[in-house]
This record gives sequence, C-alpha cells and structure tokens, in this order.
Amino acid sequence: MTTSETIWLLLCILAPAALGCATLWLPKRAIAARTLIALLGPVASFVILAQHLAAHGVSAPEAPAATPVIEWIPVLHLNLSFLADGLGGFFGLLVSGIGALIVLYARGYFGRDEAALFRFFPTLGFFTTAMMGIVLADYMLLTVLFWELTSISSFLLIGWDRDDRHAVKLAMQAFFTTGLGGMFLMGGVLMFGYATGGDGGLWRWSEVLSAGAGRIDVSDPLIVWSFILMLFGAATKSAQWPFHYWLPGAMAAPTPVSAFLHSATMVKAGVFLTGRMFPVFAALEWWSDLIIPLGAITMVAGATIALNQHDLKRIFAYTTVSQLGLLMCMYGLGSLEYHGHANIEWDITQIANHAFYKAPLFIIAGALGHYISRDITQLGGAIRKRPAMVITMLLAGYALAAGPGTISFQAKEFFLYAIYHAQESIGPWWMLLMAMAAVTAVCNVAIFVRLLTTLMGWPGGMKPAAAHGAHDEHDDHAHGHGEHEHGPWAHLIWIPGLALVLLQYVGGLAPGLWGQWFAPLESHAAEAIPTALHAFMHPTLPLYVSLACMAIGAAVGLSPLMRGAIVDMHDRIYPAMYWLAVTGGGRAFRTVQTGRFRHYIIFVLLAFLGAYVASMALDPEMLRWPAVESAFEFIPGVLLGVIICATAILMPIVQSRVVRVIILGSCGFSVVGMYLLYQAPDLALTQLMFEIISVILFVLVLRLLPDTKETDRASGRWWRFTLGTLTGVAIGWLTLVAAQSGAEPKLGEWFARHSYTGTEATDGRGGGGRNIVNVILVDFRGFDTLGEITVLSIAALGVFSLFPRRKPMPTQLEFEEQIAGGAAR
Amino acid sequence: MTIILSICVAVTFAVSIYLMTGRELKSIAMGVFLLGHAANLSIIAMSRTPVRHEPQLLKGAPILTEAFDAARPMSSIVDPLPQALILTAIVIGFAVMAFLLSLLVLTSRKAGTLNVEQLAAEAMQGA
Repeated sequence: MTTSETIWLLLCILAPAALGCATLWLPKRAIAARTLIALLGPVASFVILAQHLAAHGVSAPEAPAATPVIEWIPVLHLNLSFLADGLGGFFGLLVSGIGALIVLYARGYFGRDEAALFRFFPTLGFFTTAMMGIVLADYMLLTVLFWELTSISSFLLIGWDRDDRHAVKLAMQAFFTTGLGGMFLMGGVLMFGYATGGDGGLWRWSEVLSAGAGRIDVSDPLIVWSFILMLFGAATKSAQWPFHYWLPGAMAAPTPVSAFLHSATMVKAGVFLTGRMFPVFAALEWWSDLIIPLGAITMVAGATIALNQHDLKRIFAYTTVSQLGLLMCMYGLGSLEYHGHANIEWDITQIANHAFYKAPLFIIAGALGHYISRDITQLGGAIRKRPAMVITMLLAGYALAAGPGTISFQAKEFFLYAIYHAQESIGPWWMLLMAMAAVTAVCNVAIFVRLLTTLMGWPGGMKPAAAHGAHDEHDDHAHGHGEHEHGPWAHLIWIPGLALVLLQYVGGLAPGLWGQWFAPLESHAAEAIPTALHAFMHPTLPLYVSLACMAIGAAVGLSPLMRGAIVDMHDRIYPAMYWLAVTGGGRAFRTVQTGRFRHYIIFVLLAFLGAYVASMALDPEMLRWPAVESAFEFIPGVLLGVIICATAILMPIVQSRVVRVIILGSCGFSVVGMYLLYQAPDLALTQLMFEIISVILFVLVLRLLPDTKETDRASGRWWRFTLGTLTGVAIGWLTLVAAQSGAEPKLGEWFARHSYTGTEATDGRGGGGRNIVNVILVDFRGFDTLGEITVLSIAALGVFSLFPRRKPMPTQLEFEEQIAGGAAR
Repeated sequence: MTIILSICVAVTFAVSIYLMTGRELKSIAMGVFLLGHAANLSIIAMSRTPVRHEPQLLKGAPILTEAFDAARPMSSIVDPLPQALILTAIVIGFAVMAFLLSLLVLTSRKAGTLNVEQLAAEAMQGA
C-alpha cells in the first residue's frame, strides 16, 4: 500500500462532512440539489472504502495491514493512518451505507422544510465523518479524537429542537454521559500506551493486534486498569446499564437521527470498541467477569422496559438497549474457550443483523408518527391507512422477534449456542444467562405480536387508553408542518426502511449469499452460516429455548398483561447527578468562597504552613541548623539588614500615610543596597528606577484617596500578628536552609558558560553577550521575558482603560436617560 | 550574610502578611508591595554570594570580561540565575502594583470606602 491509500481513506472519512457543508452554499430553495450533494458524501465514502477493500483485501486479524503513516503530531502518537480490516471495514460500509439511506429518509421526513434541511445535512455529515473516523482510525488516539467528535455532533443532532428546553436538556444528558465515557477512554488509551512502553509503546490498533498477547503483559495492573477505563468508555457510549438512560432520552431527536444513531452508529461505537479490544484483552480474566454481567443485565433491563412503553420510538429505543447488551454479552462470552477455540461466531453478522432491522423500525416509526401517531395505542388498524409502511414495519418487527427466515433467527441461535457452550467454563451460571436471554427473547416476540395485532387491527391489539390526553407529546416533530407532501419524494419516508429490511431476508432465506458478503469480513467464521431449516433438522437445546420463547412471547403479547406505560427509574440518575453538581456544588462553593480577601490569604497560608510542617516531619534534615558563615562581620550588610527590618516593622505602627510611603520607600532603597552587596548591579538599577516611580505613584494615589484611619485596628490584631510571625519565621528558615544547602548552581553555571562563547554541547555557539543576566533574559529565557512584557502591557492597558482621559463614561442611569431623551425627541 | 538576609525575609514577610490581613485596602496594597521585596530577597539569598569582606563592590558580578571557559571556577562569580528571575519579578511586581493602585482609586470613587468589610457587605447585597 502506498501513501495515496491513506489519503483516499482520509477523503473517505471527510467526504460526508465536506459535502454536507457544501450544501450550505446552494440556494435554500434547491432542496433536490442539496439532497443529492448531501447524499453524495456517504455514497463517496462507501465507494472509496469498498474499492479499498476490493483492491487490498481484508487483512487477516493477526496481521492487520494499516495504510502508510502520514505524520501529524508524532510527539503525541497521533498520526494519520487507517486500518480497514474486517471490523473497521464492515463498520465503515455500514455507517456510510445507512448514512446515505438516512439522507434520503431525512428528505422525506422533513418534507419541504427548507430551514430544517439546511441545518440538518451539514450536521449529519459532520456526525457521519466522526463515526467513519472512529472505525477506520489506526492510531488509538485518533479513534479517541473522533469519538469525542461523535459526542459533540450527536449533541447537536439530539438537541435539534433548539427551542425545546426538554430536548436540550436530554441532549446535554447524552453529551455529558458519553463525554464522560470518552474521557475514560482517553485515560485508558494513554495508560495502555504507557504500560506497553511509553514512547516506544503500542499506540496503533494494527500494532496492538499484531503484537497480540506476546508484548502485552495481562498481569500488569496498568494493563488491567487501562482495559477497565476503555470498557467504561465503551459501556457509556453503547448505553450499558446503568448508563443506558441517555439512549431513550436521545429520542428527543428527529427520527432520522434516532434511526441513524441507534441502529448503526453512535451506540455501536461502544460495540465496535469492544470488538477492537477483543483480540487484545480477551486473555484478561476481567474480560468475561465484567462484560458478561454488564451485557446480560442491560439486555434484560432494556427488553422488559421496552415491553412497558407506548411510544414506538421509546419501545425501539429500549429494545436497542437490550440488543446492545446482547452484543456486549456476546463478546464477553467470546473469551471463554469451547473445545479449544474462541466461543464466538459470526459476530459481525450479529451487529449487521441489529442494524438491518432496527433502522427500518425507527424509520417507519417516524413515518407513522408523521402521518398518524407514534403512540401504539393510537395505531389500531393502521394497515388500512398506510399499508406499505405497516408492511415494512411488520417485516422488520418479525426480524426483531427473530423469526425463522430472517438472519436475526440465525444470529439468535448463535448467541444461544454461545451461552450453551459456556457451561464448560462458567458452570451452572450458564443457566441463569440462558434464562436472561429467554426473557429478552420473550419480550421481543411479545412486542412483535403486539405490533402485528394492533397494526392489522386484529383483536388483542393495543387499545387507546381510557384517559387519553397525557400522550400528546408523542406526535412527531414533522407533524406540525402543515399538509403532507405528495409525489415521489414523499415515499422517501419509508422506502429506505424497506431497502434495509430486505437484507434481513436475504440473510435468512439465502444464507449462502450472506455468507459470501460477510465471511471475508468476519474473523470468527469457522463454519458457514446454516440455514434456518438446518436448525430444525438438528434440534438442540437452543432451538427448544427459542421455540418456547416464541410461544410464551406470543401469549404475553396477546395477554392483557403489561400493557401500561411505565417511567424508567434510571431516568432519574442524570437529574440527580446534575442537581448534586450544580446545587450541591453551588452550596459548597458559597461555603468556601466568602468573598473576603483575608479569608483567602488565611486558607493559603494555613495550607502552606501545613505542608511545611509535614515536610519537616518527613525530612528532619530541614530542622538542622545549617553551617553558616559568621553573620555580623560585614558591617554594610548588617546596617542594611537593620534598616530593612526596622522600616518593615514601623509600617503597621505609623499612622500618617505620607510617613508610611516614606518608610516604604526607604525599605525599598535598602533592598537596592542589598542587591549591590549581592553583586547584582542590574537588579539594583532596575529596583532603583521602579522604587522611585513607585514612591511617586503611591504619593499621587494616596492624594486621591480619602484619609481614613483603620477604624477597627484592634480587632483581630493578635491572630494577624501570630499568623504573620509564624509564616515569616517559616519562610525565613526556608531561605536560610535553602541558601546553605550547598547545592551547586548547575543551571547558573550552564548559563554562564554559554552566555558569550559556547561549548561542544551547543556546537560552539554562545549567546554572544558579556552580561550573563541580560543574556539569560533575552536569549535563554526569551519567552519568559516576552510574557513579562505582555503582563506589563496588559497592566498598562488596564490602568489606561480604568481612567478614561476625555469624557467620563455615562453611568447606567445617565445612559438610560440619554436613550429616553433621544426617544422623546 | 545569609543569616541577615533570612532575618530580613522573615520580618518583611511577617509584616506584609500582617498588613494584607488588615481591613484597609491601602494597607493591603502596601502589604503586597512589601511581599514583593520579601520574595525577591529570599531568591537572591539562593545565589550564595561570595561577599568580599572588604568593600569591593561588583567584583564577582555576573558580567564577563573574558570568556567564561572551563578553566574558570563558578565560585568566581555569583549565580546569575536568581538575578534574572528577580529582574522579571521586579517588573511584574511593579505592573501589578500600578494596576492595584488604579483599582484602589476607582474603588474609592465608586464605593466611597476602602474598608474591605464594607465592600464585601455591599457586594453581597448586590449579588
């Protein structure tokens, strides 16, 4: 592969965002042109990626072939290189393919709403690009980067309805939850890179995969923790219990967004990451111990809550949660060995299966909401009104129920087999898992049966609740935009769903064809996909379980049980956290931040004294009297010291402000003398100049201030005195100990030796100046001096802006009067 | 000599803390000014001056008359680094001082008082 491949794949990633933004330049009225341009983005991605995979083949999982590196930020181990192996390539095709269908669907969904489409296409393109980046990036930090971009762009998409405060809140909830996970992921990646050797460590997925278990010490606690952090990132993104609350909340988005985010992209990012980590971390004991329970609980929780919902989008959101739990659980079970090989088969088919029925379900839910209602109780006999949509939905619903004839059936069988085979490793726990999977399957079948009976208008369907009226919010966003559109464009609101769901039946009825498409992408496809018939010819326990689930599910779906709509108690998690952070944090803030300067000083000084005492306790050397030279031999030094001390002590005692300034000045001039004694002519000169200016400034300023005495001088005098003395003694002692520590001035010596002529270390080049201090300031530490000049300029600007020269600024009142006067005139 | 300087640092630091915990903004400003001196003196103490006991000023100042090659010992001059640090600190200290003083004037004009307690009370009422 050559560098051009890297550029092609970069184009493949960027195309949706670039073309999405390009639609902004087209006239608002040209809806068809904008739709076509926006469609071109994901289609281009799909074609480029497909071409790449066709030309270079899907690399073997043990020897992944990433494209050549284009350096971006090598210091941060963040470069451009892409890895289109089976997993990444499959996800890339899935994202761009469904992305293209969603563009079409959005055109049907938003109808002629020019403003909405104007905003929607660029945002969707941005999101698609972020998602493509996650799945194709080879550098782990590049994945993290795109991961954060999906959080941001999904925030924009979920909070689409900007005027709806509730929707914005839910978008924030999704953003904070997935953003938090993103931070954990980054921590995990950094820790992993560090644990595998820092700069020479593993920073690329391809290296990680090809290095395998050899270079990764799974007993290293750092590796274990990096795995746990990364898993946390995956779990929040993939809405695993108890973080699943953001996913149903994200239903505030328009349906094209829900269909895209919750079938193939956003929530699958966590599954993708788990799939990426699988070959690396599956050797960890923690892998199965953490992921199987996490996935299983999510699976059951999602399915049972889904059964107790009325809003179609909420029903499908919770079944999505359930399915995500199943996928995680599948990877968890995969690390358990079965007859010497990994207990995982056709994992990519499992992921594709979910996308191919869930996206149509959302698409049709949005379409039905557009024309009729999204509340299942209002949809009795909908087939008579919208037959094509209802048939598409029922085809997808049949796949949700994993009925024979869909790829979903085989996928379910694979999963049940994985549980069945796990009994070798996890003992009797497999029965619990099987029961959990059965509960999930029963719920899914029941949901399908309800959809079927209700939509067909058969007896046993859902009836409108007696006290209706509480569910008006289920009407869809697009509903309010006036009359429905007619003509060929209007059918885009359901055709993309039909196109996708047909793939389900290709897999179910012609598994050979499906196998041809997917086997090259799969890394765990030892055997061909069996037909549904095969399962019936060789019945084993998993088949009996599925059949029992179908029977029980049909019974539950027809029964009057669990027909209400319940509130998911997990929805309270985020508001509670928000309250804790904002209200609780506000209270803590007000307790600490008193707004009084002295309190802050006291906090700082007490912390300093505490640290001081602690370090004294740790290092008794600090308490020893250092070997000092005779103190009082040098008379000028003694005299200057006495003046400095005396003037300082006089300062709080003297009352007259002029005398105080004079005292402050004499203290400063004595410091000038001290600098001279310390052989620092530059300091003495500078200090002399600034001391003169300061004294003049002080005198001028004090003239402008009221001559108030400190009224309550006596109050708090003693604790101020004590605190001052303690800190003074501490700092003085520190100065003495540090100055006498005997440490050689290594840095100073380096500066001295290089200030005029250099040494070999600097290729003989020096600073070329004889005044070492000056050379340090303008040469060695030039940026420091630049900062200093900046501070000086900012202070000067600040002083200047505080005192307007010409005309005083009008006060608020005067300003309002002026406005009022102007208006009157 | 270091011991004298340490005493100076201790005294100026103590007085500046005492002033800064006061209630008059003027005292606080003076305390900040004095704190700058204290910090600078503390840093210059680190340069471990080879003070001549006869008044030969600037004998070991870090200004070169000839190349400072490997033959010349470091002890013949003082450590130049603290001086460079202090030079920056003096300038920034002055900038902060000037800004603080102009804020002082503005506060006294707007609020009519320089008493920290009264200012804080007013701020709390305003909030």
